[in-house]
Amino acid sequence: MTAPDPKTAWRQYQKQPGAADITIGLAASFTLEPLEPFLGAYLLGKNLEPEFSVAPFGQLQQLCINHKHAVGDTNAIVMLWRIEDMFAAKLAATLDAADALPALLDDIRQFAASVSQLRRNFSGTLIVSTPPFPSLPGFSAFELASPAMQVYTAAAQTWAQEMAKVDRLRVLDLQALLIEHGARHAHDARKWQLYRQPYTETFWQAIGTQIGRIIAAEKTSPKKCIVLDLDNTIWGGVIGEDGLGGIALGDEFPGRAFRDFQRYLMHLKSKGVMLAVASKNNPADAFEVFDKHDAMVLNRRDIVGFEIHWESKVDSIKRIAAKLNIGLDAIVFVDDNPKEIGEVQERLPTVSCLLVPEELADLPALLANTDLFDTLQVTDEDRKRTDMMAADQQRSQIQETLSEEDFRKSLQLKIDVFTAEKQHLARITQLVNKTNQFNLTTIRRTQDEIEKLSASPDAVVLGMNISDKYGDYGLVGAAILKKNGATADIDTLLMSCRVLGRGAEETFIAQLAAAAVSLGCTALRGKYVPTAKNEMVKDLYPHLKFAGDGDGWLLKTADAPKIPAHIDASLRLPESPIMNKNKEGQS
Amino acid sequence: MADTLIELFADVLQVEPAALNDNSSPDSVRQWDSLAAMHLVAAIEDKFKIQLSTKEIMKMSSIGLARKTLQDKNVKV
Repeated sequence: MTAPDPKTAWRQYQKQPGAADITIGLAASFTLEPLEPFLGAYLLGKNLEPEFSVAPFGQLQQLCINHKHAVGDTNAIVMLWRIEDMFAAKLAATLDAADALPALLDDIRQFAASVSQLRRNFSGTLIVSTPPFPSLPGFSAFELASPAMQVYTAAAQTWAQEMAKVDRLRVLDLQALLIEHGARHAHDARKWQLYRQPYTETFWQAIGTQIGRIIAAEKTSPKKCIVLDLDNTIWGGVIGEDGLGGIALGDEFPGRAFRDFQRYLMHLKSKGVMLAVASKNNPADAFEVFDKHDAMVLNRRDIVGFEIHWESKVDSIKRIAAKLNIGLDAIVFVDDNPKEIGEVQERLPTVSCLLVPEELADLPALLANTDLFDTLQVTDEDRKRTDMMAADQQRSQIQETLSEEDFRKSLQLKIDVFTAEKQHLARITQLVNKTNQFNLTTIRRTQDEIEKLSASPDAVVLGMNISDKYGDYGLVGAAILKKNGATADIDTLLMSCRVLGRGAEETFIAQLAAAAVSLGCTALRGKYVPTAKNEMVKDLYPHLKFAGDGDGWLLKTADAPKIPAHIDASLRLPESPIMNKNKEGQS
Repeated sequence: MADTLIELFADVLQVEPAALNDNSSPDSVRQWDSLAAMHLVAAIEDKFKIQLSTKEIMKMSSIGLARKTLQDKNVKV
């Protein structure tokens, strides 16, 4: 079954639009209406219902000065621009006079300053294009002795340097899209002359898809784990039949295609995607390849879970999801056997399935050509995910051999609570928006809102880092305190579930009490706001000796819980760095 | 049988096919503005797998004239 073409889908939606999930202001230095159906259809495909408002063409400067006047009060703004539209005369001058370049670069810097001004006044998603290589007679790298390429490079670099200074800017790389698509296939001279609209329909589709990916990535979660078949998926041939020397993997095609595919898998792993294996094989045969084949890029340690046996892959995938504590909708399954793909698609419809292409030359880019792993920022915690899973497995092995108390002591847990600085905000925003279970109030906030709170004198945003002798959990807890007279209200309190039950809760509350004192408060007040998923923290406050007073739970800072003796705790607040060594039995 | 060209214009202009005939033009159809003209060209080129020259596009100032222009290019409309 094929999806309806984008224009039909968009037109049908426009006849009966729903309540918009997202409003998007569009502006360009040229006519951009052909973008609407392509961007609209892409977002509809991601279950987002958009509503567009388009600024008249050539109104970019006006938009920067007063965006509400130009496109209304929207959630997102998209700006596309070209040097040959914005600065036509100064660009043309650079072809004739060597000293004309600085004037062009000045204008570009001024335009960049307008974009920063817009950023300061507009808190939503801001997407701005790079300038594409100009489409202008005479402006050609083919014209002999033309300075076109130097002029373009200087202009593009100036723009990039200025944009790097703008906060939370999403860049639409129009130049990269133009290269990918091919400038000749992207431009339509007729439409430019008739309508001030430079591009072909297929290029508009490419632009619409790319903008859609940026917008959708802000609203949806990327896939977390790839479950891989082995034979004819990460190497060529069947290990059980062809043996270690007979499988295809290495420098020469087809082995090269499999090796390059493995390299891209490693790239995804470095961005935080976990890799797992589901293969119908004898485990000894399969592990021999991991352990002994010279050309294997993937190592055993890169894989978070192996399901190698002759049972159903549906069950294998379910077990991997359970082990990693992730949803089936966060899994991508790759296999060369259409029957396996079909069975998984039928029985686990939320798993994304990809079939190894018939043309093996296309295998290395199989995953790169999808939007399944789109993510706008990669945090340190993402990068370390596979190592953390391995550390977890080590911990569980040790836990089985020791008593609970000895196990806790053996971990050598370190808990560091600190006032959030700029570099922590991305991760804290991620936690605030995705933590469901250990989350007392489940208040979701944008990074902008959290940054404002962290700058306020009457609030404090705290992060918690945890590590133990097996590894670093990273930033796994966050809290927001708001000063309310002599009481500090716990606006937000959340933690990753992987660190519970080892004294982290008591320690965090003890440090919150110390932070409250630094705000000039003598008590903490917490609230539990029930949701469908946070039942586990229903009794957290009474359990930690907070007293119910009808308006939440109150605890005098002097009555704060003691930090358990097995924990090496520290607290870093901006004005007064206090090393908290106030431990049980030592106070 | 419904007229393919009328249906295409109705779809892009978002009006009922019954409201259009070969005499319809930007002067008689409110929705037929310059943006709509641009969308019409894209829709015609998509539908009939042809490419129009600027001269041909300029000639299409009514549905009837669009029909004639397309017929001159051997498109059956």
